[in-house]
Amino acid sequence: MPNKVFFNFLFLLIFRHRSKHIAIFIISTLVVILFSSVMLLSHAIEQDAQASLSAQPDFIIQKMHAGRAVETPVEWLDELSEIEGVSSALPRVYGSYFYTPNAEYFTLVGIDLFDRQISESLERLVKDLDVKDFLAQPSMIIGSGVKTHLDKFYYKEHYTFRTPAREKREVSIYDSLLSETNIVSSDMILMEESLARDILGVDEELSTDLVLYVPNELEHDNVKEKIILLFNNIRVIEKEELSTAYAQMFNYKGGLFLLLYMVVLMTFILILYQRYSMISSSDKKEIGILRALGWSVNMVIRLKIMESLIVGLSAFVLGILLAYGYVFYLDAPLLSEIFLGNANLSNKITFNHSVDFGLLTLLFLFFMAPYISAVLIPVWRIAITDPLEAMK
Amino acid sequence: MILLSNEVIIFLFVESLLLLLLSIAFINTLSIYSKWDFNASTSLQYRLEKRAYLVVLIIVVSLGFKILLLPYFSFMIDQLSAMVPGAMCGAGVLSSNEYGSTLLSLKVVTLFLTGAWLILNSEDIKAPAYPYFKIKLLLFIMIYLLVVFESALDILYLINIPTGAPVACCSSIYGAITGGSPLPFNLDITRILILFYLFYLLSVVSSLARYSFLNTVANLLFLYIAYFAVVYFFGTYIYELPTHQCPFCMLQAEYYYVGYVIWGTLFLGSFFGISAFILKLIIKRELSYMYRLSLVFNTLFVSLVSVYVLVFYLKNGVLL
Repeated sequence: MPNKVFFNFLFLLIFRHRSKHIAIFIISTLVVILFSSVMLLSHAIEQDAQASLSAQPDFIIQKMHAGRAVETPVEWLDELSEIEGVSSALPRVYGSYFYTPNAEYFTLVGIDLFDRQISESLERLVKDLDVKDFLAQPSMIIGSGVKTHLDKFYYKEHYTFRTPAREKREVSIYDSLLSETNIVSSDMILMEESLARDILGVDEELSTDLVLYVPNELEHDNVKEKIILLFNNIRVIEKEELSTAYAQMFNYKGGLFLLLYMVVLMTFILILYQRYSMISSSDKKEIGILRALGWSVNMVIRLKIMESLIVGLSAFVLGILLAYGYVFYLDAPLLSEIFLGNANLSNKITFNHSVDFGLLTLLFLFFMAPYISAVLIPVWRIAITDPLEAMK
Repeated sequence: MILLSNEVIIFLFVESLLLLLLSIAFINTLSIYSKWDFNASTSLQYRLEKRAYLVVLIIVVSLGFKILLLPYFSFMIDQLSAMVPGAMCGAGVLSSNEYGSTLLSLKVVTLFLTGAWLILNSEDIKAPAYPYFKIKLLLFIMIYLLVVFESALDILYLINIPTGAPVACCSSIYGAITGGSPLPFNLDITRILILFYLFYLLSVVSSLARYSFLNTVANLLFLYIAYFAVVYFFGTYIYELPTHQCPFCMLQAEYYYVGYVIWGTLFLGSFFGISAFILKLIIKRELSYMYRLSLVFNTLFVSLVSVYVLVFYLKNGVLL
């Protein structure tokens, strides 16, 4: 094992040749920052998406007509809730509302405040929610993206919606949602169910879709089969399918990036190889002196490998730290738009800190494996320099 | 779609990089092996000796990465279980086509030989006249051929993972649903456990007494029985569910990745135990630290799995 003196010498050597290492160090750091911030970001978004999915119902059932989803009759619930294993079956009412001043779509969601599950989860999202106060007059809770847009046109207290029957409904703004939930709630407006029905024009006996909760995961396949046998023309969406779809989507975006980035990495390897292959006469002299002092070739190899390992590792660590700061403290400006898109309301998101060991290993392998491979041959070439020839 | 999974891309990228490096070393090895004569003082021998440094350097580095890649491989197939319908953990993904289990066993064997090579190399460098140089190169040629075969299997396995059709999950592979005893030689759990602790004792005694052959046999038997003991007995205490029998689920975050420690210590313990004998045959000398390490890792492994049972018993007052 190399001892203290060895490391002392090693660091002195790196410090002495700092001008040679600094370029490699800077490029390496940049390379690491770029790909690790993309990977950290995609990982963070996926985690957020999966976390919000875990609170979702296990099945979503939509009525299909000519290949399009249409409003689903609420009376189906009677039959659905009789399937064994289903703990609760509920109708949902939601839809898009076109906000004329800015030509944007808001997502209107009707909620049943008398459902304990819903009111409990709502209390976690909104501070000091007073249900009685909320229901006293038509009111809504809005996402932060919606709030920005309404504020722009001075709708501070209330906003007047138009129903499909061209009636006006004035709805007061009760509160806005916390920005931690932004990834799903930025463009969302929550309001009482019957109010949402009015504004979206959904009849009492219809709903946008139906949801089922099936707590036992082992029952899911059976339940799905029974649902399909019950009705014609329906689409059944299972939670696991959504989760798989999310995973595939993020893998696809990240994977495409990684494939393209491999080209960058290859170029980087070549540069590294070239840089370390250039052996200056002073380098040669140094190795010659070491060999003359009795160092073996193996020791010189170890010294040189350690030298580039330290440069590479410190660049890797610094790069990861900077990328971490960029994604989680600065909220990844510019880059986040690639992943989120802003087809709907522009989304201002704070990401929840999420890094796992698997991701770090992935980044480590992706950078360090090519880095080390690139320096092997140049290091060997330096180490076998003939001492006599080197000192001439 | 599987090939666009981030873990798979990184895995194949690093694998092919290592294959490239090892191929460079392999080509050099062939010429060194045929012309090597340590006692000659020709310029050819001098050049070969210089090239030998490169070969050894490349092998050490890439085999080091290979060691890292095996746990990464299991991590990768565990991650893929999110994308393969029906799979709840790595077991389903691994058995989703005919290449999976062969590939995993091949990887373990390669890792085993790799470890032996690295130890042989360190002994070789310490000795003045490179006494094991030719054996070392032969062993490397063997490892290289295995690695080439392994890389081909890697690709075959990964492109044949189905993403449309559902695969079996671990409870159907490991027999909790299908019924029938999955244990070898008609053993039942009690006998497996007796054998488990007996073989452990045998390996302890034989390594303390430095009976290298007995130690190898004991470790081989221990490895075999320990696999079944963990999957069919100790695993159920890790999952705290009597019907959950799976060697892969314990690699997941829900169980604090304890599977990596369990399988890692078992592998290391048996590796040092078994290779102590093989290396003794080659270098004609006892490597006492091998016995020590084997003892340490086996003990770690046995106490870790036993603690799970003990804690469960103390908490609940019953056994599963």
